[in-house]
Amino acid sequence: MTPTMHALAPVADPDTVLAALGEVLDPELGIGVLDLGLVYAVQISGEAVAVEMTLTTPGCPLHGSIADAVEARLARVDGVGTVAVTVVWDPPWTPEAMSERARRALGFG
Amino acid sequence: MIPQAPRAGGPPPALPLTALLVAAGALALAAAALAAHPAALATPVPTPTFLALTHTVTLGYVTLLFAGTLQQLLPVLLVTELALPRMGAATLPALATGSAAVVAGFALGFQPTALAAGGALVSLALWATAVQAVLTFARARRRDAAARGLVAATLYLALTVTLGFLLAAAPHVPALARFGYPVQLHLSVGLFAAFLLGIATAGQRLLAMFALAKRTDAFRLRLLTGMVHAAVAAELLQAFAHLPLHGVAAALLVAAGALQLWEVAALLRVRLRRRLEPSVQRYLWGHAFLPLTGLLALDGSRSAAGIALLLGFVVLSASGMQAKIASFLTWQARYASRSAQGTAPLLRDLLLPGVEPVTTAGLAAGAALASAAAATGSQALAVVAAALLLVGAWAQLTQTIAILYGRHRSTAAPSASPVSPRKENA
Repeated sequence: MTPTMHALAPVADPDTVLAALGEVLDPELGIGVLDLGLVYAVQISGEAVAVEMTLTTPGCPLHGSIADAVEARLARVDGVGTVAVTVVWDPPWTPEAMSERARRALGFG
Repeated sequence: MIPQAPRAGGPPPALPLTALLVAAGALALAAAALAAHPAALATPVPTPTFLALTHTVTLGYVTLLFAGTLQQLLPVLLVTELALPRMGAATLPALATGSAAVVAGFALGFQPTALAAGGALVSLALWATAVQAVLTFARARRRDAAARGLVAATLYLALTVTLGFLLAAAPHVPALARFGYPVQLHLSVGLFAAFLLGIATAGQRLLAMFALAKRTDAFRLRLLTGMVHAAVAAELLQAFAHLPLHGVAAALLVAAGALQLWEVAALLRVRLRRRLEPSVQRYLWGHAFLPLTGLLALDGSRSAAGIALLLGFVVLSASGMQAKIASFLTWQARYASRSAQGTAPLLRDLLLPGVEPVTTAGLAAGAALASAAAATGSQALAVVAAALLLVGAWAQLTQTIAILYGRHRSTAAPSASPVSPRKENA
């Protein structure tokens, strides 16, 4: 599943924001959060970036670390002022959200 | 120095990491002592040496590992803040010190002062941990079968130690002596109600996470927990009301073990991650000892069955999850802050390559041969089993030290260009 991008007079380049998101890895799986299909939506409004994402398992012990890493990585992108990361459980993550690359890395599908 | 980093909503990782390190040290120490006294495996009778060895494994390794892990696992399983988050700083050292005193008390030939002091300290620490678990459970919104079972296992662990403490005191206290010495109750509550239930409940959630398994039906875990409760009730009635219910309890516990095998198989069937890590494989290898335990018990080799259950199922399963939990906690403490820079190692990078298979092979082969030695009385098998267990236990200690203190480098592949977004409004 690809994330929904909603950009309103963005200061930062949306593609750069997305590329930065792609660099954040799930440390357990070694696969990027975008490839895993964990990012549902990205909204850029001026210098503010809001990310709505999920995790593979509710109550995942890496919950805080992954959300913090997304926030810290995006804060380093030129033109990004504030970053808000929201972790949601609805809709729940499903394996169908993974990219082909992630499926291959897990030996799945 | 143990890695330290603040963590919102729970104790610092240094606390459970210290418990995990001391526990790994206790298992290595037990294996070294067993190598010096391998006859204890071939003739497993409750001599001071045998009891000292057994309690180094049950209290020093399994219980300390369980109590340390709970400090992090409870908030994760219950998706809430840990109650009394600072209490672990008192209970874990008390548990380690008390366990050492109990082991010393046995090793010194049932030294009453050490046994009494150690037993009291361990009992207090575990009841305090049980209260912490119940309070955390009470504040949780999400109370599924795994969480309920894990809290019950915590209570049974405290009950096991208290029973052992009271039973050890029975010969010296007339009021207790009239209850006799129902050692079977102590063993059933400890090995099954605490350890099997604890591994089944915590393991269900951890295996689901590490194997990326879609959630399975909870009825097996509910049924397993119910059977364990019923078995404990039957053993209590047998011990204190002298009702002949031991056979019923044994049948219920065998069924509980079978349900655990069924649950693990169900999780593996629905997993997305095909290649499981070596430490997760070790957790699974532990389950091969459940049917072996049943076969040995049916054959009448109760000591061998007990050894297969403790050294095979419990130690292997706990050891597999220990490597995962130690690497997760160390990563949180040392590398989480670097993950945004892309320089943080992955969790698997924290482990020394090649050590996990040695740990698994040593512990699994050692446990199998130890069971065989107990069943046949073979001294030669006992010597080989003790040597293999020594290799496995020391490999695990080496791995734990490497996870906590090693210099780790990331092996993450460079990120490729990400997927394209669906632009709704640009």
